[in-house]
Amino acid sequence: MTGEDLAARRGVETDVYDPAEDSRLLADVACDEVASDDLVLDVGTGSGYVAATVADETGARVLGADLNPHACRRARDAGVEAVRADLVSPFCDGAFDVVTFNPPYLPADAAAARDDWMEVALTGGETGREVVEAFLNDAARVLAPGGYVLLLVSTLTGVEEVATYAGERGFSAVALADHAFPFETLTVLKLVR
Amino acid sequence: MKRDLMDIICCPLDKHDLDLDVESEEDDEVVAGTLTCTDCGETYPIEDGIPNLLPPDMREETPA
Repeated sequence: MTGEDLAARRGVETDVYDPAEDSRLLADVACDEVASDDLVLDVGTGSGYVAATVADETGARVLGADLNPHACRRARDAGVEAVRADLVSPFCDGAFDVVTFNPPYLPADAAAARDDWMEVALTGGETGREVVEAFLNDAARVLAPGGYVLLLVSTLTGVEEVATYAGERGFSAVALADHAFPFETLTVLKLVR
Repeated sequence: MKRDLMDIICCPLDKHDLDLDVESEEDDEVVAGTLTCTDCGETYPIEDGIPNLLPPDMREETPA
């Protein structure tokens, strides 16, 4: 599926990615994993759906970070503590028990290039892994001892490739859940140091 | 933003602590103000309760 198809299917005429199957799968897994006394960061929080759901269901404090100012405002309106940030760059070392991320993961398709906030929300460069890899380069820094990452990965992005890259950054990966759709299978990887 | 966020956030450039300067506050939340790096001196705005901690070179970058 191309970014254009996906954008059309998901009816994205707005500036912010609306929650879809991927968001719901990540939120479901996070609600099972997160403890009430955890401090959680939801990277690329978008509408704030995952952050708000996890906060409501678990009682944990969940921050939402996004590059997109429209997303930050929408997440804040949804009751999420929002921070405008590039991935985890403005967060202290060892700050979080859990970091969740539903990244932009579609391989860029020149024909579907939109040059707007929605493209930023959907595409992860030529491989679909550019944003995920930048995230994995810095994610361990912000994790508390025993902390972990819950990362949504699609077969369109390459689950093995992402797990291998995470391994090279010192993480071991376990697949906690997956869900097959006609054009992709979504998996949530738990990455532990 | 809540004041205790100060324990969680840092300068995105050099990871040093930030100083909070509050311009307005509502219901225990900082609505407007600035965050200044104690090391490099870079300042980051807080607007409508949202701290903008993008590195300065990304702050103006918006898609068409």
